[in-house]
Amino acid sequence: MRKTTAMLLSAALVTSALWGSALPAFAEEGDITLDVIICQYGPNTNEWFLGSGMDGTNFVDKFEAENPGIKLNLDVVSWNDVYTEVDTRIANNNAPDILNIDVFANYANEGLLLPVSDYCPEELYNDFFPSFIEQSVIDDTVWAVPDLASARALFYNVDMFEEVGIEVPTTWAELEDACQAILDYYEGEVYPWGIDMTTDEGQAAFAYYTWGNGGGFVDADGNWAVNSAENAEAINFALGLIEKGYTNPNPATQTRYDLQDMFAAGKLAMVIAPNQLPTYVADKGGEINMATANIPANEGKSSSSVGVMDRVMAFKDDAAPDQAARNEAIGKFLTFFYNPENYVGWVSMEGFLPAVNSAVEALVASDPSFEAWLDVLGGCQFYPTAKAEWDQVKQGVIAAEQNALTGADIQAELDALQEQLAG
Amino acid sequence: MKKSNGEKWWGPYLWLLPSILLISIFVVFPILIVFRLSFSEISKAGVVGGFVGFKNYIDAVNLPAFATVMKNTFWWVISVVGLSTLLGFIIAMVMNQKFRGRKIARSILIFPWATSLVIQASVWNYIIKYEYGSLNSVLLNLGIIKEAVNWRSSYQIEFIWECAVGIFVTIPFVTFCILSGLQSIDESLYESARVDGAGFWSRLFHITLPLVRPSLSVSTVLNIIYVFNSFPIIYTMTKGAPANKTDTMITYLYMLNFYDRKKGPANALSVIGFLILCLCSGIYMITVMRKEEEA
Amino acid sequence: MNPNSTVQKAGKRYFVLLILGLFLACLIMSLPVYTFTVGVYTKKSSNTFVGNEKYKEALAEVEQTADEYRSQGLAVEISETVTERTNSKGETTSLVAFTISQTLKKNVWAFLPSSLPSAWVLRILTAGMAAALILAAAGCRGSFSTEIKTLDPGLRRMRGLSCLFLLLDLILVPVFILLNNYLFWRRHSLFQGDLLTDGKEEWYRVLDGFLFQGKMGEDAADALKNLSAEHSPLLWVLLFCFLLALAGAAGLRFGALQKPFLRGALYLFVIVICVITLYPYYVMLITAFRSNAEALDMYFLHLLPTKWVWQNLSDIVQRGVPQFLANSFMVAGGATLLAMLCGIPAAFAMARMNFKGKKFFLGFVIMSQMFSPVVLLIGISQLMTTLNLNDTLWGLIFVNAAFNQAFAIWLLRGTFVAISPEMEQAARIDGCSTMGSLIRILLPMAAPGIVTTLIFVFINAWNEYTISTVLITTASKKPITVGITQFSSFNMIEWQYLFAASLLATIPVVILFMFIEKHLTSGLTSGGVKG
Repeated sequence: MRKTTAMLLSAALVTSALWGSALPAFAEEGDITLDVIICQYGPNTNEWFLGSGMDGTNFVDKFEAENPGIKLNLDVVSWNDVYTEVDTRIANNNAPDILNIDVFANYANEGLLLPVSDYCPEELYNDFFPSFIEQSVIDDTVWAVPDLASARALFYNVDMFEEVGIEVPTTWAELEDACQAILDYYEGEVYPWGIDMTTDEGQAAFAYYTWGNGGGFVDADGNWAVNSAENAEAINFALGLIEKGYTNPNPATQTRYDLQDMFAAGKLAMVIAPNQLPTYVADKGGEINMATANIPANEGKSSSSVGVMDRVMAFKDDAAPDQAARNEAIGKFLTFFYNPENYVGWVSMEGFLPAVNSAVEALVASDPSFEAWLDVLGGCQFYPTAKAEWDQVKQGVIAAEQNALTGADIQAELDALQEQLAG
Repeated sequence: MKKSNGEKWWGPYLWLLPSILLISIFVVFPILIVFRLSFSEISKAGVVGGFVGFKNYIDAVNLPAFATVMKNTFWWVISVVGLSTLLGFIIAMVMNQKFRGRKIARSILIFPWATSLVIQASVWNYIIKYEYGSLNSVLLNLGIIKEAVNWRSSYQIEFIWECAVGIFVTIPFVTFCILSGLQSIDESLYESARVDGAGFWSRLFHITLPLVRPSLSVSTVLNIIYVFNSFPIIYTMTKGAPANKTDTMITYLYMLNFYDRKKGPANALSVIGFLILCLCSGIYMITVMRKEEEA
Repeated sequence: MNPNSTVQKAGKRYFVLLILGLFLACLIMSLPVYTFTVGVYTKKSSNTFVGNEKYKEALAEVEQTADEYRSQGLAVEISETVTERTNSKGETTSLVAFTISQTLKKNVWAFLPSSLPSAWVLRILTAGMAAALILAAAGCRGSFSTEIKTLDPGLRRMRGLSCLFLLLDLILVPVFILLNNYLFWRRHSLFQGDLLTDGKEEWYRVLDGFLFQGKMGEDAADALKNLSAEHSPLLWVLLFCFLLALAGAAGLRFGALQKPFLRGALYLFVIVICVITLYPYYVMLITAFRSNAEALDMYFLHLLPTKWVWQNLSDIVQRGVPQFLANSFMVAGGATLLAMLCGIPAAFAMARMNFKGKKFFLGFVIMSQMFSPVVLLIGISQLMTTLNLNDTLWGLIFVNAAFNQAFAIWLLRGTFVAISPEMEQAARIDGCSTMGSLIRILLPMAAPGIVTTLIFVFINAWNEYTISTVLITTASKKPITVGITQFSSFNMIEWQYLFAASLLATIPVVILFMFIEKHLTSGLTSGGVKG
């Protein structure tokens, strides 16, 4: 049926058929073309993969020169559009071969992904940090490999703290004291604390507070427990900070870019931010004397840093003529990508933390601060992205937070979300 | 206007054919796919499954934010179309006067029309930022305000801003449609009215309005469609935050589709939106156009 | 009624009102309405309790500084605020802030001799008042004589002008006071907070010269101290309205003034509209040429970048913007061409032929507009895969052309209908084919309408964003709207690049538009009236 439509349409558009048919003819006989989607992490991502940002050459050219017979059709997509593009392509049975993104559970559960063991060479597989690999397991199968990670910690403006004469807070009570002291001292000119409950990253705020109160997205057995009393208490604490005027004024629309910009301009005293913040501030021309500390936790609860990890995964393609050759090509791509020669340059350019052991040495050599961050990363908690309902939970907690910002009761909101998850 | 003798009955249709083909292939075909999707099961990742009847529609109507979003859409369309028509009319009246620099003023007026909505929305988003937005900076440095103003202190105000930006980008289109109508009015009509002692308001209601109504009505229909379907302003400025309270239908179903991954209800919602739009513009066109034919 | 007495009455009323207005303005300007508290020095000391070691240390420092000021002959005061709080651990914390300040009350006249930039506003204002007075004096020549029957037009004009001057001045007085207060406040607090260092010394020199050498306002007016602009803007607004009404009444008694007033209002309106319209472009422009740091400087005092960073332009050129622009040109141009090729015959048939289903076709065309491209993403992408047009500019061209058919047909049909068919019929009798008459006769006559349609379709295609995002995956094929998204990446938004590229994307369209503005209105005319 679709074929006949297609033929009719093509016949109607003779011209389009002419241009259309010219496309695949370029590929030589026997060549494998891999469709790759890479997310745009920073201003230089595009240049590095496609321009001349990799010592005068770029990733694609270098890869194709070293791996004859494999062509890359690589697209760098902004985070704003990547879900749209990937979902649309999946709906059209046109999924990319290799995808770099943060989530994977839906794709794995719906049988769209290849298990990592099918294509990843063993040597490379053993190179990944085991704790990272664990985050991509569903039903004892590894579905994706980590490409990089970042760790979040509390950044504070050292000069301000000295001027105001306060210590870095470690508990929530101390945090409130510090906020009050900063507010008093600067008479409102400086926001003591930054909160981002936007649609972009509201789930991070949820993690910062609930994990510091012994709560979280899941309970000890790994079942969803978004409506625990600890969680409600934690979010109420965050809302209290906003109410008391300790934070930036519009948490529902001020994204972490806004917070980081304010921090860089000396308008914000404390912010929970990823490890790239110093680079970011320097790029923005800010001169902030900053230091890091643990994210404050509730009295008697342990602080936990927040890790964010992105992944690389390979999609099934039943139409591919030679599955073994395709898997091998994907393996070659990964081997090339994680080769320290290429990978180290990329990770340090983007300012992230590595996901493979072989890159650690070179990275630590180039920037000693990496070592401390790797330690932080070791103790990080990650989002439960391997659970199928993660999208729903993520959007759900953001909506709950935002509703609470406009006056709703957070416990009721979270109860409703939990009920949806159960039902 | 008469058919010439030698022409075949299918002659006119041949003339329409390229247009029909173009629209059918590139617009109607995708629309049919959306209709099909709205009756199909779609997985979270986007894999299309089998037929599920009206389940998606029932789910869509039962979404918690549905009522809010419909209300917002209503206000969005009413305020943007209504106010931009009103303001566009006033501006068109002024621009129709003869004054020095009219050409430059008209060219400037076109700017917002000639700029991509994504760009407009990002600029305005940047302008009204509290901490380092340009509006506060300019007003402070001109000495008009004493302290920085939080221009977006609540979601209601954010929504008003979004409407304002919507109006801002829509005005040029309306203005030029009405201006063209105004220019075609014969000056002598006014003069004779003036001789009869008609005042400003009387001339406005008895000469100007009836004569620009045709151009006004068509621009309004197109406007309703464009404004209803307008996506970038709200998506860029708030993404519907907090909790869909500033979403209109189009942005909401986009969020539903690609953030919440409720793809079935999202497609059902598209069809619902389409039907509403058909109904509204249908009613409008039938009433207004019929009046015109009578007139 | 005796015309003499009318003229006389009007003359008297005019002078009374004029003098009253002038007197009021002078009175306000003489009041010490300009209140300015200068925090000369601030010392904050945390963890400091009244009486302890740290407190004494700080106090000594503050006193010493105050003495320095006093030795310069300034009457300064030291104020002290103590903020005590009990923290979560039950400890008491205390913050002590000392401020050395000087509160000054000045009347507006004190600005006249100062070298502050705002003094120029005041000088113009004063000159205006003088002019009004002189003109009024000149305009009173002979108007009290019982002999005259009508007022001499020259005199009338003088009176009118004097009214105009006075009106402007009256508006300026509160505006000046308000603006000045806020400007001072902002500059001063920025300098004090060390948020600005550029030009600090110069500013303080000027400020000192003004604050401590001018004359103080009378104490008798202390009863009116709440009238200072800072305290009650509402009072000022009321006063302003009263004065406006007063002056308006004086002015509008003379019919000759009505016209210039209306004219002025017209220009004012046009200017306001233009300023609002251009404002976002001004923001784009100045941000595009700022350095990254300046783009985010929330205390930025200048209305233009201090240093124009042309580097930004070459940076975005390096990052592919010319290629994106070229792609956009191809897509928009191709789509326009295709839309016209399909739209002209259809519009021609709609305008010139009778056939069944004409209304149905119109409905079909309008219906095709009712789905937003955002909604149709999946469908369009599927179609493109089927047609093998994924990731090609051709795909974009077709989609854009199709989505603009409705507007194109509507506009073109209107244009064609407005042109009388007689010429074509005559040509057809001469043996010209329908196609021939369309090309040789109708199209040249419909040129303005066609140009309008061209532009409209071109702009729509140029600005299209959503479909291109999904359809185009190769970087070198992206149109500009999609290309600029690389400047707002995961890690940071580079406002200056984003806006520089946005400007580049806007300029070609605007130039095109200005070029075509004349055609636009006439084209829409024909489209609108008969549509």
